[in-house]
Amino acid sequence: MSSSSVDEITEQTKDLFTQDGVLLKAAMGRMVQDLNSIGMLCIVQNGDGTKCIEWRPNDLITIDSDTQDQEWAVVNTIGRRQRTLSGNMTSDYATARARIIKIPLEDLKTFRVTRNNQQMQFSTKPGVWQTTFYFQHGNAEIFVAYLKNHVKTAKTRHDRNTYVVVEPNIETQVLNRSFAELDIFTENTTDVVWNLVSNFKQRPYETTMEAFSKLTDIVYYGNEGMNGKRDVSEEVADLLTKSMSALEDSTTVTRTGEYEVVSVKPTLPPRPCIPRGTPLSTEKWEGLQDTEGRVTEVEGVKQLIFRGGVAHSIRQSVWKYLLDYYPWRMTHSELRSLQRKRTEEYFSMKLQWRSMTDGQEARFSEYRDRKSLVEKDVNRTDRTHPFFAGDNNPNLIVLQDILMTYVMYNFDLGYVQGMSDILAPLLLLMGNEVDSFWCFVGFMDKIASNFDMDQAGMKHQLLQLQQLLLFASPELAQHLQQKDSGNMYFCFRWLLVWFKREFSHRDIMRLWEVLWTGLPCSNFHLLVCVAILDAEKDIFISKDYGFTEILKHVNDLSMCLDVDRILSSAEGIYHQVVSAPHLTDQIRIILGIPPLNTTTSTSSDEATTSQSVQQANGTGDGSAEAAERDMEEDTLEYDGIQIKIVTKTVWALLA
Amino acid sequence: MAKTYDYLFKLLLIGDSGVGKTSILFRFSEDAFNISFISTIGIDFKIRTIDLDGKKVKLQIWDTAGQERFRTITTAYYRGSMGIMLVYDVTNEKSFENIKNWIRNIEENASADVEKMILGNKCDLDSKRQVSKERGEQLAIEYQIKFVETSAKDSLNVEYAFFTLARDIKAKMEKKQEASNPAPRTGGHQLRANEQQRKPTSWLSRCSLL
Repeated sequence: MSSSSVDEITEQTKDLFTQDGVLLKAAMGRMVQDLNSIGMLCIVQNGDGTKCIEWRPNDLITIDSDTQDQEWAVVNTIGRRQRTLSGNMTSDYATARARIIKIPLEDLKTFRVTRNNQQMQFSTKPGVWQTTFYFQHGNAEIFVAYLKNHVKTAKTRHDRNTYVVVEPNIETQVLNRSFAELDIFTENTTDVVWNLVSNFKQRPYETTMEAFSKLTDIVYYGNEGMNGKRDVSEEVADLLTKSMSALEDSTTVTRTGEYEVVSVKPTLPPRPCIPRGTPLSTEKWEGLQDTEGRVTEVEGVKQLIFRGGVAHSIRQSVWKYLLDYYPWRMTHSELRSLQRKRTEEYFSMKLQWRSMTDGQEARFSEYRDRKSLVEKDVNRTDRTHPFFAGDNNPNLIVLQDILMTYVMYNFDLGYVQGMSDILAPLLLLMGNEVDSFWCFVGFMDKIASNFDMDQAGMKHQLLQLQQLLLFASPELAQHLQQKDSGNMYFCFRWLLVWFKREFSHRDIMRLWEVLWTGLPCSNFHLLVCVAILDAEKDIFISKDYGFTEILKHVNDLSMCLDVDRILSSAEGIYHQVVSAPHLTDQIRIILGIPPLNTTTSTSSDEATTSQSVQQANGTGDGSAEAAERDMEEDTLEYDGIQIKIVTKTVWALLA
Repeated sequence: MAKTYDYLFKLLLIGDSGVGKTSILFRFSEDAFNISFISTIGIDFKIRTIDLDGKKVKLQIWDTAGQERFRTITTAYYRGSMGIMLVYDVTNEKSFENIKNWIRNIEENASADVEKMILGNKCDLDSKRQVSKERGEQLAIEYQIKFVETSAKDSLNVEYAFFTLARDIKAKMEKKQEASNPAPRTGGHQLRANEQQRKPTSWLSRCSLL
């Protein structure tokens, strides 16, 4: 197509449907900075009458929309084009235009809707999902409904979320004939046939497709879905394979007597077995502070805590640092004045709700609702633990007061179920209302997104968990996907309260303090999930657990988990993942590792990258420089995996 | 696999936080009551197989977190439910008012043909009562849903409620089958053990397969 003809027709392009707030999650051949940008997903009619799906990044929408020329549309060429740009005005414009993604409807082969209707993927080529979009506002339902006005689709039975785009005239005939030839239902006069016949009259095409896809189920998954119909003849299977390839589904089917979905995945390096260390002891803790009480080796402390946790005798003190209540580099006297300030602040916030009259409360429904929620939950938080047990236990009042004061501290967030679970171990350890409150504030700051009104934070984490699992334990991830559990909702409780319901108080304290270090990577708690699930993989798969059994099994793991074993295997999985040759940017981003394909990380920068990462993970404040002077990096070896140890001191302490 | 039941029904308990959903379920599945229950985070279910007119009916009862914020997650489990218990607390006016919202929530997320029942729980706490039995009955009439006051603590009407809901589902299912299958050979199409692993859809569509 020549450029002049493009210009002529662009005048006539028309947006048939637009959906705002659509995030580009993945696209083949795109630069990584394009990913995760928000834009508008549209169905567009071109001047020549053809239609396409188009995604435009938000920062582009102000630019004239007549810049869509056909050549930009080919998704796979965009990456190449961007490399040729030099930064002048025209090419900025071109860069922006190149970021538009176009999928001509005539090329669209299949699309699917996943993640609770919030994610859509498109494919123009069998076996590859080229683009993935995430619907931030609402879901994909309306978009799909509009799209179905423009393409004829059929759902595949083995994955009800996947739509195959079909050309009705040709395909219907083929399928009708295929179905007649199959003739497998006629022997038994059951409601199956009755329904089939009646449905067939009303909706011939859909009925055929659905019956047909049921057959693919038999071939794919064995025939447990069809009662008593166990003999699918070779002939039928053969016909099915032919038609399957005609449909060009995204899966690759090989015929080897038995039919299997074949996928070749690169394997991870072997998992190193990294022993846990001993808890940070009083002596070591004191040894890491200067005479005035400043913690001089923050990274070292964190490393030690990551390796072995904190001895119970000093938890009360160390947690205040880990939860950002105490700054690491404050002296004892500075801390005393900080504590005085925070105490005043706490009690003035507490007074705000304590001084509310009954009349005020009666006219303040939002406050009242929160108070009632807090009361309900306080009465059912860890009541079996002696600290909270029994009627009229004064600790329940403290629990209630802290949560109510937090409502005043952060009224927008208010009180959400799960917060009482988060607070209980803190209060149990601190035994002091003010300290518990400020530690709770610090913990909440780390996990506030878990309690989002729209649960976006939870959904995001569940998605990341799914992606990590697919990389670290693909066989299990696929099993979950097949059993309608790919959304990982069964891990909701784990993530919401950071495994609080899964472990005893003693163990949850260990797990939390390790996770608070932020080591060895971002989102290590998701790797803890992966470690727990991976340990159950054989049960899930060998017993062919389905949707309900998976949820039940996961819920029943509560109080049966070994915290040290899990932490050790989560760390092992971390090393497996990061040393995998096929490590993707998607996984790097989840783990907080800079992606390879960024423009900033050119080869000349690479030498400094690891250092800057360490700084980013470290204290971040200017006083870190002091510690850096005596920071000599050492490397520890376990089973061939190299673990960086930041300082000589830590090295000595570990030895 | 040896079949240990004739029917499998998926039921769901919904209602405001703290109305006693978990306690009702615990009473029904374990015949026990625990004053210091923990709040439900996420979702869980329990199983009890009951005998209903000579048939073994396996009830898979799902228990959900009540707080509104978690609804985006919990509604994902509505699909495939055949019966829903709407629970309020007779000592909490707000939980009663919210029943209307829960019904709307069901209409948006569950199958249209799902059987429903309203339970006014904690009826043992008469001194703290805020919602009279008459108002509960009135609401039930308004929505044409069965209603009963229960006490998980005193084990009052909990069995009755689940048996009633199960019986209604069974009757509806058998009626539907007669209509769609003129010559039933075994007295009704039966759900199979492996059905529970399938994608949740309208439960009636499971019975008719297509």
